[in-house]
Amino acid sequence: MINIQDIRDTARDMLAKGEVRAVIGWRAGSRGMPAEPAVITAPEQADELVWDPTCYHNLALHLVEDRKFLAHARKTSGAPIAIVAKGCDARAVVVLMQENYFKREDVYIIGVSCEGSGVLAEWKLARHLNGAVPTAAAFAGDEFTFATAAGEKRVPARDVMADRCLECRSPFPKEHNVALGEDKTGRDLAAPFAALARFETRSEGERWEFWQRQFERCIRCFACRSVCPMCYCEECVVDSINIAVAPDTTAEEKANRIRWIERSATRSENITYHMTRAMHLAGRCVDCGECERVCPVNIPLRLLNNKMEREARERFGYEPGASIGGPSLVASFRDDDPGDFIR
Amino acid sequence: MSEQQAYEPKIVAFLCKWCSSAGSDLAGVSRIQYPANATPITVPCSGSVSPMYILSAFNKGADGVLVSGCHIGDCHYMEGNFLARRKIHLVKELLQFIGVEENRFRMSWVSAAEGAKYAEVVKEFVEDLRPLGPQEKLKAQRT
Amino acid sequence: MSMEKILDKERLSDWIAALAKSGMEVNAPALEDGVWTYKPVDGAVRMDHPNTKQPPKGFAFPQREVFFSFEQIKGEAPRLKQVLPESPQRVVFGVRPCDGRGAVRMDRVFGNQVDDPYYQARRKNVAYVGLACNTAPAPTCFCKSVGGSPVSTDGLDVLLTDLGDKYFAQAVTKTGEALMAAADKLFAKASPADKKSVGKVHADALAQPQRAVKDAEAAPAKLKAAFNSPLWEELARACIGCGICTFLCPTCHCFDINDEVTGSTPMKGSRVRTWDNCQFPDFTMHSSGHNPRENTAARLRQRVCHKFQYFHENFGMLQCTGCGRCVSECPVGIDIVAVVNKVAEHVG
Repeated sequence: MINIQDIRDTARDMLAKGEVRAVIGWRAGSRGMPAEPAVITAPEQADELVWDPTCYHNLALHLVEDRKFLAHARKTSGAPIAIVAKGCDARAVVVLMQENYFKREDVYIIGVSCEGSGVLAEWKLARHLNGAVPTAAAFAGDEFTFATAAGEKRVPARDVMADRCLECRSPFPKEHNVALGEDKTGRDLAAPFAALARFETRSEGERWEFWQRQFERCIRCFACRSVCPMCYCEECVVDSINIAVAPDTTAEEKANRIRWIERSATRSENITYHMTRAMHLAGRCVDCGECERVCPVNIPLRLLNNKMEREARERFGYEPGASIGGPSLVASFRDDDPGDFIR
Repeated sequence: MSEQQAYEPKIVAFLCKWCSSAGSDLAGVSRIQYPANATPITVPCSGSVSPMYILSAFNKGADGVLVSGCHIGDCHYMEGNFLARRKIHLVKELLQFIGVEENRFRMSWVSAAEGAKYAEVVKEFVEDLRPLGPQEKLKAQRT
Repeated sequence: MSMEKILDKERLSDWIAALAKSGMEVNAPALEDGVWTYKPVDGAVRMDHPNTKQPPKGFAFPQREVFFSFEQIKGEAPRLKQVLPESPQRVVFGVRPCDGRGAVRMDRVFGNQVDDPYYQARRKNVAYVGLACNTAPAPTCFCKSVGGSPVSTDGLDVLLTDLGDKYFAQAVTKTGEALMAAADKLFAKASPADKKSVGKVHADALAQPQRAVKDAEAAPAKLKAAFNSPLWEELARACIGCGICTFLCPTCHCFDINDEVTGSTPMKGSRVRTWDNCQFPDFTMHSSGHNPRENTAARLRQRVCHKFQYFHENFGMLQCTGCGRCVSECPVGIDIVAVVNKVAEHVG
């Protein structure tokens, strides 16, 4: 079990010594739980940091935001920035480094292991609490404990952990500068890609009926894209708002700028958006599950990304977020890549 | 004549300039008769075909999409078709995953000398597309 | 005096069936893939939803609608054809009081001084049958502190109150009276005992504790004073600019207009209105690349001030109805109640 003081001491220490200019971690939210992402810059703020089952956010996103902020402000980074990173988050950081978004020395990874208990899926919690409102959560071995007005409630972690945690391949942050918590593996959990395999037993017609319903429901809030650390493009290809505008650009040219999809949140446009995103994430998505968590209309986005990830692993021997030095999935090839489908 | 027979599938074909597009030209100058259902779009290399082109073609109502390039080892840009092989495989898997009929999207290697093969590829594609009817799943319903 | 009747719970589906039979499109909350959504129904209906994920604003203000279609042959003037919506008569069941008050605000925007013909064409055909909130509020509800209440009738045509085995049905508008009259036989007269029950249920509901914006009346002035405060950077630090808060809000109404071109010779297509979102980075982006609201701090400030200051300055009412969706759905836990309270405290 990780002692929260270790996280706080590490953060305080590094900030006080000026070894890092900021620490990205979690603090308690305004309603007690869930935790919220925090970027602290002063040693005294280290005491705000928390580590509990509601620390489900992928903090690599805030690394990306920090870099963008610096780029816009035309500042150089100076000292590195530290990030408290779970196993999944650390893999996201590796992908970003693989793509040269950061240099390795710009980021100090304070790895934290969930030790196999995963993080909470809040929607699973309601049925275990009988209406009681939880104000705090804590790790407790194979259980999570929740503070409520009706006393402390203990729930087996397995019953309320996020679906992606059930299929997690690496709860321990392999890439780290310092790692807290044990490297626990071999949990008795669902096999990787289990949900995907179950879905694929459906027929083509059933699959279409399912996905059609999902894409009709999509409101194109773009939360999935906004929360993904890998979607760091300044301008997303589906927005296509930028057009080089000169004094003599005609209204017609502006109106006829390339638009891959319309702004209407109709099924066809939504499909193009989600397919494009899944392709752009192929080999890069580390299954942090945030896209699915934040979707306000419950679209099971992980299925799309998991499909790409399994193809990457099984057909191309490629593992996202495994090594900083490796090539990207779609900019590399092997002589024995499958080609039987080509006439 | 039944409605089914009257339906002519529309194919969008992304052809690499150096091989497949030349191959389709050869079919033309050789006066090989083959169905006129494919609209060719020349691209520099099969590896340059972005998934967005394919999705956009379906969005605009294509009944079938073909990507065709140089044979492995013959890519004008050395590696482009190797990359295409990987990318197109992923697009194919993804389309099938959401329930788009497998026969609507295919890839071929057609060299500049294979005019007959190009004609054959298109002919087969049209025959495989006919029973599927017009593509409605990804097509934008514009009102 | 408004029409007050009793409807046995088993009769609810009969009322809906009668309305559907008369040609109305009846919508009610349904659970699909874990999401509460309004769906068309013709009989059996559920009214045990906490609240729907999306508010009912889409009935009068859909995500996408066509203004007109156009066609232009080169060299000629374009031919435009207005497309006014042919909206069926609709009734929406299970609307919570916060969403009823949301409808009032939407009506204000699209019917103040100038009527938006597209909105009005749909709105005049939509009726809301509300459901009073007589169970404990969700942890994110805060209607009371922004001038609302779990039993408010604002914006609703009928308010139903659950009395266990029956509903107390109160017609609020003429439209509501007509809806109830359409199935008159199903309703019974409300007895004095019934009225007493309802009074008690309402009083209990009102007494339930809720989170609160500490002093909503003072909010406009406080927000105005805090416009240049660096506090906004801190408050918006976690914001990822996703847009969920805006799209799920019962009163957010900003829109974009685009031409969807479907042919080039002759050029033709439609001019389309779609929802837009002030939390998207490109909302205020100029074609020069300059963006007056270039960071999340400016955009969060905009949204909060619009709800608690600008709308009040323009229309004399707060734009927020306390439904709590933006609080419960925000992926990073940004909480408008905490934001307004923190700003007020900071200003002092």
